[in-house]
Amino acid sequence: MKITTQTKGNDIFVQVEGRIDTTNSIDFENTVSQALTNEVKQIYLDCSELNYISSSGLRVLLTFLKKMMAAGGTLKLYSLQPAIKEIFDISGFSTIFPIYPDLVAAQEN
Amino acid sequence: MEIVVSIFPVFLFTAFLFLLDSFKLVIKKYLAFALLWGIASAVLAYFCNNFILDVARMKPVTYSRYLAPVVEETIKLLFIFLILSRKRIGFMTDAAIYGFAVGAGFALAENIFFLKTAGNSNLLVWIIRGLGTATMHGTCTSLASIILIGGKSRNTSFLLSITLAVATAYVIHSAFNHFYVNPIWQTIAIIILAPVLFILIFKLTETQLQKWLEIEFSSEIELLKMINQGRFLSTRSGQFLASLQSRFTGETILDMYCFISLYLELSVKAKRNVMLRENGFPVMAEKDTGDKLLELKQLRKRIGKVGELTLAPLIRMNYRSLWKLTYLE
Repeated sequence: MKITTQTKGNDIFVQVEGRIDTTNSIDFENTVSQALTNEVKQIYLDCSELNYISSSGLRVLLTFLKKMMAAGGTLKLYSLQPAIKEIFDISGFSTIFPIYPDLVAAQEN
Repeated sequence: MEIVVSIFPVFLFTAFLFLLDSFKLVIKKYLAFALLWGIASAVLAYFCNNFILDVARMKPVTYSRYLAPVVEETIKLLFIFLILSRKRIGFMTDAAIYGFAVGAGFALAENIFFLKTAGNSNLLVWIIRGLGTATMHGTCTSLASIILIGGKSRNTSFLLSITLAVATAYVIHSAFNHFYVNPIWQTIAIIILAPVLFILIFKLTETQLQKWLEIEFSSEIELLKMINQGRFLSTRSGQFLASLQSRFTGETILDMYCFISLYLELSVKAKRNVMLRENGFPVMAEKDTGDKLLELKQLRKRIGKVGELTLAPLIRMNYRSLWKLTYLE
């Protein structure tokens, strides 16, 4: 798993490549948490290179969603691969996480 | 002051356990019922103990060491039997917390009674009652509840589980009542050991729960994807179902297919709700969930026990599988 983060004002842009599963979900959580500052209200998560997510990964995303909502913002996911989008749809998480086709749509909303 | 030291510590401990429940498995309504049952069971035990003491004509000390623990622990556990039968306990954590709450309620009623009848005992007696006896009551019912849920999860004979649960609670309670060890040391030991024990149990449950979510969630999603894409027969599960054509009617095979599909859908959503609760989000209840749960029940009836056992390689309708569906209600 490879994670890149970039902070711009109140927004943080995170790109994750590979998998988020039991073995690395804690690393993912720690890496993103370290990049979060008190000013950050919005996390934009680029999922174009994310090819697997398990319940551990979903639980970490829920933690970040909760943190951002407490700060008055949210966690936005975009560019999900079809297989990953299906996981969110089947489990019903697509009604909990804001999901967008691309970054432009995520920023416009 | 006696009220404070004899009543509040055990409730603080119950609150501490409730806060340790990282997956928020405990439902507040049932926690309140557990406390109330604890109080009621103390009243019931009082009358039972007096009746048996009259009939048996034993010395009170002998009765309190050997018979009272059986009576009290059995009555306390009745609430746990009830919520287990309604599949409201899933893991050791919630079993432990509900059990402890019953014990806390029992200790509350007992200490209020003793305050009224022996209120002028010295403060040390109330400290021992509030910290030692009350924690003992909570711990005994807690451990018995853990044994019962362990038995349910492993499909152990119910009679064996109950016997083991009551026996464990009895041994601890009876040993406590013997006062082999100075009551002060006994109290110190129990207030040190009990939190350590519960923290270990909760850590174990957390690991167990994470593994259960991880393994089952992913495999269920994969299978559900194949069903939704009409590719179920290309999976090993689909091929297994197809192989049952020689043993079951077409109608039953169809019911089995619908059962698998519906069960997977509901199971995934139930696990989603477990994850939502863990993070303090409200659980989601889709509009048609109630109808789907009813349909699942009907399908299970139509398939019958033989059908269910045949599908065991695909779906094990064990206690925990049914417990998680309560997260959809």
